[in-house]
Amino acid sequence: MEIHRYEKLWFGLSLLLIVGFIGTITYGAVGAGVQMVSDSGGTVDPSYSTINENEKFAQQEGNRAIHVEGNEYEVAVIAQRFSFSPGTGDPITVPEDSRVTFYVTSPDVIHGFSLVGTNLNTMVIPGQIAEVTVEFDELDGDEPKEYGIICHEFCGAGHEEMAGQLQVVPEEQWEGDA
Amino acid sequence: MGVFANEYPDEAFVVRAALGSAFVALALGGLMGIIQTLHRTGYYDSLISNADYYTVLTLHGVAMVLLFTIFFLVGFFQWAMTDSLGRESEDIRITKLWYGMMVLGAAMSAVAILGGFFDSGSLGDVQADVLFTFYAPLEAHPIFYVGLAVFLVGTWLAGVDWFRSWWAWKQDNPNERTPLRAFMVLTTMLMWYLATAGVAISVIFFLIPWSLGIFDSVNALLTRTLFWFFGHPVVYFWLMPVYMMWYVIMPKLAGGRLFSDPLARIVFVLFLVLSVPTGIHHQYVDPGIAEGFKFLAMTNTMFLLLPSFLTAFTVVASLEHGARQRGGEGYFSWLTALPWHRPAFTGMSLAGLMFAAAGFSGMINAGMSINYLVHNTLWVVGHFHMTVGTAVALSFMAATYWFLPIITGREIFSRRLGLAQVLLWFMGMVLMGNAMHRAGLAGVPRRTADPTYDQVVFDGAYGAIGELRFQIALGGVLLSLSLLLFFTHIVLSSFDIGDRAAATPDTIPAPLSGPEHAPAVLDNLRLWTTVAIVLILLTYILPLASIVTNGGWLGGSYGALVAEYVLPAVSSTLDVFVGVIG
Amino acid sequence: MWEYDYPFLVDESNSHTLAMSSETESTDDGIVREIGHDEFDPVGTLALILIYFVIIGGLWAFMYFVEFLGNGPTVV
Repeated sequence: MEIHRYEKLWFGLSLLLIVGFIGTITYGAVGAGVQMVSDSGGTVDPSYSTINENEKFAQQEGNRAIHVEGNEYEVAVIAQRFSFSPGTGDPITVPEDSRVTFYVTSPDVIHGFSLVGTNLNTMVIPGQIAEVTVEFDELDGDEPKEYGIICHEFCGAGHEEMAGQLQVVPEEQWEGDA
Repeated sequence: MGVFANEYPDEAFVVRAALGSAFVALALGGLMGIIQTLHRTGYYDSLISNADYYTVLTLHGVAMVLLFTIFFLVGFFQWAMTDSLGRESEDIRITKLWYGMMVLGAAMSAVAILGGFFDSGSLGDVQADVLFTFYAPLEAHPIFYVGLAVFLVGTWLAGVDWFRSWWAWKQDNPNERTPLRAFMVLTTMLMWYLATAGVAISVIFFLIPWSLGIFDSVNALLTRTLFWFFGHPVVYFWLMPVYMMWYVIMPKLAGGRLFSDPLARIVFVLFLVLSVPTGIHHQYVDPGIAEGFKFLAMTNTMFLLLPSFLTAFTVVASLEHGARQRGGEGYFSWLTALPWHRPAFTGMSLAGLMFAAAGFSGMINAGMSINYLVHNTLWVVGHFHMTVGTAVALSFMAATYWFLPIITGREIFSRRLGLAQVLLWFMGMVLMGNAMHRAGLAGVPRRTADPTYDQVVFDGAYGAIGELRFQIALGGVLLSLSLLLFFTHIVLSSFDIGDRAAATPDTIPAPLSGPEHAPAVLDNLRLWTTVAIVLILLTYILPLASIVTNGGWLGGSYGALVAEYVLPAVSSTLDVFVGVIG
Repeated sequence: MWEYDYPFLVDESNSHTLAMSSETESTDDGIVREIGHDEFDPVGTLALILIYFVIIGGLWAFMYFVEFLGNGPTVV
C-alpha cells in the first residue's frame, strides 16, 4: 500500500517522540535512580491487629522516624478513615539530611498518601504495604521545613478531612527531642 | 434514494432512542457537574453536604462516561452498520432487546446511586457512593453492580447483532472489502469484548457475591487491577466513534475526501491490538505490582500514541484537501477556507484541537515515574475533561447537528445556535481544563469535596490557587450554559417549528486512497484479535498471578459459606482424584 | 477496481451533487475545483504537524526535567 511521503515522515517523527519519551523515563530510573512503588513492601492481612504485629509497624511508637543506621530512618504509617497515624495531630518528624523509608498500609479501604509539593506519592491498599524511600536534604538555616500530607483517593464521607503533616527538623532539634 | 430515517425507519427509531438516552444522561451528568464545580471551588457549597458531594460525583462520572458516551456510541454505530452495509438489522427485536437491556441496567445503577441522597425510608440502605471506579472495599448496594452487569451485557449483545449483520452481508457480497464504517464498528466491538472481560470478572465473580454477603472480603488490589484492565481501553471505546466521525464525516463537511482509507483501517487495527495491555499505567504508584510490569505497561501505552498521531495527520490532510477544493491556498491560510459557519464542522475541529493539547497531558500520564508528579491530582481531571469531556463530548454534540436530520428527517432548528453552543463549550473547557492542570501541578487533589486543609498549603507556581479556583468555576458555568443551549436546540429541533426543510440525503465521497489499496490482511479480524489476546496475556498473567498468590483470591479471609462448604468440597474432590490416580 | 455499490451513499465519481435547501448549509460544499489523489500534497498538514512536534517535544522536556525533577524529594 502506498503511504504519502509526508505521512511517512510523520510516522518516523512519531516513533522518535515515543522512543524519546520511553528513553527519558528510563534515564530517570537508571541515571537519577528514581524507583517506582512496587511489591517490595510485602503483604499484610488488612486488620488493625495484624498490621500492628508487623515488624515495621510494631516498632513505630509516636511520630518520630525510627533510626536504622547512619542517615537511614524508617516511618510506618497507618492510613485509615480519616487520619494518618502518625501524621494527623502531631506531625511526623524526620531529621534533615536523611534517607527515610515509609511503610504505609490501611486496615479499611484504599487511600492515598501524598507529600504535597514533592514526588512522594503512593496509593495505600488494604492487604499491601507500600514501601517508598526518599532523601531529605540539609535545611537552609535552623527552622524546620513543613510538608502537608493528604489522602487523595476517595475513602468515604470525611475523605476531605484526611490530612497530616511531616516536619524535617534541623539536626540539633532532632538530637534534643530524642 | 432517501434519508436514513425514511430508508430504515426501524433502525432509525433505535438510533433516536439511543441518542435520547444519551442526552438524558448528559443532562443528569451536567447538572451534577455544575453542582460539583461550585461546591468544591467554594462558590456555592451550601446546596449539598460534603458527604452528598460524593454521591453527586458518582452520578456525574457514571452518567457522563458510561451512560452518555456509550448510549451515543450504540446509536451512532447502529447507523454506521446499517448505512454502510446497506441492509436492515437481521432481527430488529434483538436490536431493541439490547437497547432495552442497556436502559434497564442504567436505570438500576442510577437508582442505586440516587439512593445515596436518602438516608432513611425505603431507599435508606441503597447507596453507591463508590465513584465511577467503585474500588472495593468501598461497597455499594448489589443493585449497582447488577445494573452495571446488565448494561454491559446489553452492549455485548449489540456487538453480536452487528456481527450477524456483517456475516450476512459477507454471504451476499463474497468478494467485497468490508466498508470502512462497518470495519470500524467491528474492530471497536472486538476491542470492547476484550476490554470488558476484566471488569466483568471483577463484578460478576467478586463484587456481586461480596455485596450480597456470600464472600466476607475481596482482594482490593485484584479487583482494582481488573477494573483498570477495563478502565484504560474504555477510553478508546469512547474515542473510536469519534475517530469514525473525524475520518468519515469531517472530510465531507470540509468539502474534501478522506486522505486514506487504508490508514484509517490500520489505526483501528492498532487500537484493537494495543488498547487493553496498558491498564497498569493507572496503577503506577500502587504497591503490590512490580516495577517491571509497570514498565511494560508504559511501553505499550507509549506505542498506543501511534494510532492517534497517525489520525492527526490523516484527518488534517483530509481537511486540507477540502479547504483547497474550496479554493484555499498557502501553507496556513487554507485554514480560513474551511466551513467554519457549520457547527458540526467547527465543533469537531475545536474538539480535535483540544484533543491535540489534551493528548500531551496524556503523554505525561503515560510516563511511569513522572506519574509521581500528577497522580490523583486535579491534573488528571483536567486531562480527562479535555479528552472525554471535549474530544468526545463536543464531537458528539457537534456531530448531532449533522446526524439529527439524517435520523429524524428534519433539519435542525438553527445553525447559529449550534455554532454558539460549540464555541461556548470550547471556551469553558479552555478555562476549566487549563486551570485544573495548573492546580494539579500545585498538588491540589481530585475526588474531594473540599480541597482546603488546615495542615496543607498548596503552592501554585502558575497562578495563585484562588485564581485557579475562579477559572475552574467560571469554566464550569460556561460549560453548563453550553449544555443548556444544546438541549434547548435539540428540543426545538424535535418539533415542527418554523419553516424548516426536510433533510436531504447526504453522500460521503470516496476516499482519495481507497480500500483497494489496503492490504487484505488488515481485514483479517481473527488474526488481529489473536494478537491482541496474546499481548494481553503477556502483560497481565504475571502481575495478576502475583497479586493472587501474595494476597489471596479474596484478600485473606474467605466468606463463611465458602470456608464451610466450598473449600472442603474442593479438597475432598481433589483427594478422590489423587486416590484414583495415585 | 473495487466499487461501492450503493451510490445513494458514496459518490464514487467524485461529483458533488448535493441539493441542499437554503436553511441548510447554503448552496453547496463550497467546492470550486476538484483535486485528485495524484495532485494533492498536504503541505499545510506537514507544516502544522511539524509545529506540533516541536511543541510536544519541548513541553515534554520541560515537564520532565524542570517540573518533575524539580519537584523533589523523589522516590528512590
